[in-house]
Amino acid sequence: MVMRSMRRTTIFLVGILGFTALPSVGQQAAAGNKVVQITGLVGVRTNASGNLTLENGSLQFASSGTKVSVPIHSVEDVITENDSQRVFRGTFGTLTMFAPYGGGRFLSLFRSKIDTLTIQYRDTDGGLHGAIFTMPLGKADRFKKDLVAQGARTSIPMQDDSGSSNSKPDAAKEKKP
Amino acid sequence: MKHIPYSATLAFLLLSAHAAPARLHAQAAPPPAKKASAIQVLMIQSDEIKMPAEFQISIYENLIQQLEKQGGFQHVYREGDHNADGAADLVVLHSNVRGFKKGSEMARNVTTVSGKTSIDIHCQFTDRDGKSVLERDLNGKVQFFGGNLRATFDFAKKAAKLAHDNFAANSVS
Repeated sequence: MVMRSMRRTTIFLVGILGFTALPSVGQQAAAGNKVVQITGLVGVRTNASGNLTLENGSLQFASSGTKVSVPIHSVEDVITENDSQRVFRGTFGTLTMFAPYGGGRFLSLFRSKIDTLTIQYRDTDGGLHGAIFTMPLGKADRFKKDLVAQGARTSIPMQDDSGSSNSKPDAAKEKKP
Repeated sequence: MKHIPYSATLAFLLLSAHAAPARLHAQAAPPPAKKASAIQVLMIQSDEIKMPAEFQISIYENLIQQLEKQGGFQHVYREGDHNADGAADLVVLHSNVRGFKKGSEMARNVTTVSGKTSIDIHCQFTDRDGKSVLERDLNGKVQFFGGNLRATFDFAKKAAKLAHDNFAANSVS
């Protein structure tokens, strides 16, 4: 009886791992400027995924049915940081917490590293806004470089030789938990 | 004749019983706060405590969202908004980070008891002239479920409720 339950749990966990491994591999290949807007853009719901681009002197976030544009000259600060997030997120991630024999806790150990891009900008009335985006590891620094090159300001200047997230100034680095 | 001392004692007891809660109520009641039709939220300051920018931004944006959601203010202005200059009765919310502990979502999920993220913020409400009208220390935390940024949401809800209860025109005080 116990053996059968253990086998079932093992199959459950292996099934979940296999199910999620394939999309994550595909996601990295087709990443581009795919980002998740955590909060801040007016008219965009939280945790909305979409495309972040620099077009015609403005920062554009395009999600399903929504397109928000922020003029780059109004961006007052750009900061990049590192973080990590659960591989199994959302409703599915919550459901895994109810997996038997601590399976949910085990799955919590699977985490993916991400970059965080935080911007501060002013609207036409002078009101200060902030927006947070997460993107695949290594993309944020490049994006920040492009933003700064097109006129955005930053309180933490980029290092010229920074090709990866590891070469950021100490002030910008987020301490790992 | 016998009834007079009895009635007097009863009257005295009733009077003292009535007076005691009233006195307690008078002690516990907060000073009447000025009602305001508009509130302006300033960017979160964390000069003494190092806090990642994403937390600062998240607190600021969540505060504005929660204040708008709670209602009671005709306008919720952001820092630097020129329209706030013309607002007649405006309160300004200054938030200063006094403590920050970044926990770990993974530790929370795995152990349940460790990995708590907590934020302690000193909130000061001032009038247009910068005179303080209310000061309070609030905290935000995430103990079990959710990412670290959820602590900012927890704080924002408490701060918005404090503002609503003390300054909103339609608050029940």
